[in-house]
Amino acid sequence: MFLDAHGVGGAKDLPIPAEYAIAGACAALAISFTVLALAWRTPRFNVGARPTPAPRFVARIVDSAWFVALLRTLGFAFFLYVASAAIFGKDLQINPLFGVFYVLLWVGIVPLSLLFGPFYKAISPVRTLNALLAKLSGTEPGRGLRDYPARLGYWPAALGLFAFVWFELVYPFNSELWPLRLWCAIYIAIMLIGGAVFGNRFYEHADPFEVYSSLVARLSVWDRYDGELVVRSPLANLDLTPVKPGLVAVTAVLLGSTAFDSFKESSAWLNLSQGGSANANWVNFFGLTGLIVIVGVSFSAAAMATVVKKGFRRRDLPGAFAYSLMPIVVGYIIAHYLTYLVEFGQQTVIFLSDPYSTGANLLGTGDRAINYWLTYHPTFLAVIKVLGVVLGHVVAVIAAHDRAMKLLPKRHQLTGQLAMLMVMVAFTIGGLLLLFGA
Amino acid sequence: MLSRRTKWITGLAAALLAFGPVSACASQDSPASGESEETPSASGPEVLDVTISGDDASPLGKRVQVGVGQTLEVNIEADAAGELHVHSKPEQEVEYDAGESTHELTFDKPGVFPMESHDLGKVLVTLEVR
Repeated sequence: MFLDAHGVGGAKDLPIPAEYAIAGACAALAISFTVLALAWRTPRFNVGARPTPAPRFVARIVDSAWFVALLRTLGFAFFLYVASAAIFGKDLQINPLFGVFYVLLWVGIVPLSLLFGPFYKAISPVRTLNALLAKLSGTEPGRGLRDYPARLGYWPAALGLFAFVWFELVYPFNSELWPLRLWCAIYIAIMLIGGAVFGNRFYEHADPFEVYSSLVARLSVWDRYDGELVVRSPLANLDLTPVKPGLVAVTAVLLGSTAFDSFKESSAWLNLSQGGSANANWVNFFGLTGLIVIVGVSFSAAAMATVVKKGFRRRDLPGAFAYSLMPIVVGYIIAHYLTYLVEFGQQTVIFLSDPYSTGANLLGTGDRAINYWLTYHPTFLAVIKVLGVVLGHVVAVIAAHDRAMKLLPKRHQLTGQLAMLMVMVAFTIGGLLLLFGA
Repeated sequence: MLSRRTKWITGLAAALLAFGPVSACASQDSPASGESEETPSASGPEVLDVTISGDDASPLGKRVQVGVGQTLEVNIEADAAGELHVHSKPEQEVEYDAGESTHELTFDKPGVFPMESHDLGKVLVTLEVR
């Protein structure tokens, strides 16, 4: 009976109450203009002083060879365990691959990177495979045959992220085993070829999961300065996000796809995608792509709607500001997927005990029950969601403000920010509307 | 010069703030029932009529509100036997035969749950359980 049932549950949270959405929207609006009117007039982040070194014992552990090897081994062992479920497991809803892929990996990336920094880089199975292959062939894993072309920037990761969200949100057979196996196989193959050609620089720019994790990690307190482990305020850390081509595309894919995930459940969209004679998959494909394009284009237009300093190109502005969308992305993801992560995450841990669907209880988690506390407390959940979205918005507005102080000519520092502010407010209110009305 | 600009922006913010909630509230006829933690004590069952013939179904994408613990009575008129999946927590299935049949569902957890026909690949109803 499980054969054709969905691997990923379609259950969603109750809409947030209208008052909460309105209160959140008003708070976002008020805070935005307060920041614009009252905040500092000279750039504040990362000007001058050295950052604080991390506590000595933390640095000693994190920098030690055994710790690096341990993380790599644990990550790779987990990868092999799940890969064996993918290869030898059955095409059933209880195959843990689905939950690991859609929930633990995709949604789990956000809290883990917020807490621990760029964790995917530390455990990345494709980096480990690349290192093993390099060892076998006697080459250096960090260096490939060629230099990674700088003008590609994050574009390959943006494509990879799009391939993920398309698979998750549009592709109709995403809950069957063979397409998911194929997706993962293609991902691993591209990563290994890219790693062999361009070395580790490839993973920094082209591995969708590593790029996602490392960008979110910019909102953590951890960073390195001259190789030393340091702690910074998340705002100062965020400010150091490397500006590279494709960053706007990455943030647009993340934000647009999350919005589409809510939007596609609405009655209006269901009527449109299912009612007409058009193929629902194409309608959904265009819906997803459309939202991503709207996010990317409106953000870029707003970033460029200002006077620029002499010698500065206007079209460099979207890229220079793109990092400030990441907090909005993180707030959105938390609001949209918190229950999913907590409840389906527990379900996945239960399923992990039985990787081949034989009734085994390998990890001893097989007979655990799911705690549905969050589902039973919709008001608490609604508060968390609104706080997540509004907090993300505030951090984004502050980040964009500080960057404007750095990049815009003195006379236009305030008016130059207005368009950007309005777009961010629109994204936030749009997000709250989706939480309220979808 | 800066302070004048600051004033101007603060004024704009105040105007938007004053206008925002007013217009938002004005467009809202009745206050939404935010206290969803209170279980509605609806006694009668909620009735839902579903028609399935060939590749077509009705309704398609309708929203139906059901209380936690309330019975949802699904009347199905179908030209062939099939199954409906309800993505509730945990998931539920409705197996129906050709012709007319009636099925009862209840939900013990709040949430928004699609009721889907996997044969058709379509969401018939989205259940809003509170």
